[in-house]
Amino acid sequence: MATETGNETDSGTGTVTERGTGTRLVDHETKERLLSRSFYVVAGALLVFLWIPLAVMIILSFAVNASTFFPFRGFTLAHYGATFADAALMTSLWHSVQVATIAASIATVLGVLSSFALARFSFPFKETYRTFGILPMVIPGVVLGIALLIYFRTLLPQLFGIQIVPGFWTVVLTHSVYGYPFVLLLVTSRLYTFDESLEEAARDLGADPLTVFRDITMPIVAPAIGAGFLFAWIRSFEDFIRAFFVRGTMDVLTTSMFSMIKYGTAPKMNAISSFIVFVIAVVLAVAMNVGNVSGMVAGTEGEEE
Amino acid sequence: MATETSERSRSARERFVGAFTSRASRLGITTGPALIWLFLLLLTPLTFMVAVSFTSVDTFTYQIIWEPTVENYNQLFAGEGPFWQTAFFQSLALSYFIAAVTTVLCLVLAFPLAYLLARKGGTTFKVVIFLVLLPFFTMYLVRAYSWFLMFGPSGVINSTLLRLGVVNGPVGLFNYGVPAIIIGLTHAYFPYMLLSLYASLDGLDFSLIEAARDLGASRTAALKDIILPLVLPGIISGSLFVFVPSLGAFITPRFLGQGKVLMIGQLIEERINSLYAIGYGSAASMFIVLSIVVAFAVAFRYVSIEDLGGV
Repeated sequence: MATETGNETDSGTGTVTERGTGTRLVDHETKERLLSRSFYVVAGALLVFLWIPLAVMIILSFAVNASTFFPFRGFTLAHYGATFADAALMTSLWHSVQVATIAASIATVLGVLSSFALARFSFPFKETYRTFGILPMVIPGVVLGIALLIYFRTLLPQLFGIQIVPGFWTVVLTHSVYGYPFVLLLVTSRLYTFDESLEEAARDLGADPLTVFRDITMPIVAPAIGAGFLFAWIRSFEDFIRAFFVRGTMDVLTTSMFSMIKYGTAPKMNAISSFIVFVIAVVLAVAMNVGNVSGMVAGTEGEEE
Repeated sequence: MATETSERSRSARERFVGAFTSRASRLGITTGPALIWLFLLLLTPLTFMVAVSFTSVDTFTYQIIWEPTVENYNQLFAGEGPFWQTAFFQSLALSYFIAAVTTVLCLVLAFPLAYLLARKGGTTFKVVIFLVLLPFFTMYLVRAYSWFLMFGPSGVINSTLLRLGVVNGPVGLFNYGVPAIIIGLTHAYFPYMLLSLYASLDGLDFSLIEAARDLGASRTAALKDIILPLVLPGIISGSLFVFVPSLGAFITPRFLGQGKVLMIGQLIEERINSLYAIGYGSAASMFIVLSIVVAFAVAFRYVSIEDLGGV
């Protein structure tokens, strides 16, 4: 707890400290400085903690000996070559991209419509509607996956005579539900901070509702919609457990990777994992600069737009 | 010709706009699609899951026998010895323990960073947020796998320590097991805590603290009486978002437990995937669902649902 209590005084670090005036072992100024510094140490250590395993994995992806550093036998690109030549793995990667794109599109359409309802209209059971909408994000993947597996595989055929073979579309449906709350949260929080007098002004100046929507509402809400789509896409792309249950015999990237680890093919695993880290880094960097995703994710809409 | 098309598009446009201006259709169009979707793909499956947990399944045809029974629940606690020695109870208790430790660890680690981010802002903000968010957005499976490389008797940590001559044999702490799982889960869900704490710290008026200190409050008192009450919603929602997924974790205990640890999510998966024991799986899932309902019911006494939007 000592580190946590240090923070409230670190506004004082800007003042000039008289060094060496105190003869006591720990005088007041030193104590302030130590507390404030220990805060930075904890924060720095944390970033190291977040990054070390990923950094190790990325380095190992270029190492001849793929699972540990010692004895070190040099660098190679062979693991990447083998990974991208693996047809089954590439097929599952393509499945993941397709699933994520369709599922995130569905989630975005549903999420944006609901967000307008929640932010603009009042209707009965509004709170229930909202709570219910956040549920898919909160329910552990194991529970959602099993509930939908039983539903698709046993209940629909037995009770309603609907034959659904678990596969591509069951994963898409599952992920569309899973992605929905992320869109909902991001877009509603944007709409709540929206200055509606802008719309009124446009209407007073004679704009019809469609023009107001296209020229005023959309440009302001669009970054949040983009962030919502991105969130839902990534959530679908990285999901293992929900897809694992409802995929039937189809493989998505995560389920292929899971079987790889089960059978111990570390070299390809390092390479494909590092490749994903790299791609996500690029996408995130672009999104942060274009759409201010960081601000939205952290719940702080910037003033730039 | 040209005027005719523009006439037609104009009327289509008016009809389109008109659909959004009547109250009933406006509500129907905006709330309806998600309502139908969630009814079919969330409410119905979950309701049936509750029902299935109270039925039995024909072992040959996999047909559900729709007669109410508590057999599945009896099975969870069946076996020799008292109920706390059953596989189900042990893995449930272990899952609670692991999820609780993970939550506390995330809270302690995330607070300083969230505080710094809220306090400093500026140019470093973007960089730090990027550095935190990148691992967060990186596939959950990849992160669990990266710790799988670090831990283990011949993992990166142990082999490096051996190489450096710090230890003589693999250190038990860095083998696969409960500590490895807690580290893996902390790494996985820490950003949820950070973002929740940051969202509540960001709106904090820091001059309150200076005022309290000027009036003679100690650091501990300022923390307890000023910061804590204001940050409480963030702490609670962050804890929920760490505790709940940790409780039902599957991949992390699978990779980092290497068969030595059985959390509740693994137990359920095993019964469903190898035996298709949907009754047992549903009944066991009810305990996870119930824990979550209780956790949220407690949380909502302190925070409103909008505060959960920080994530």
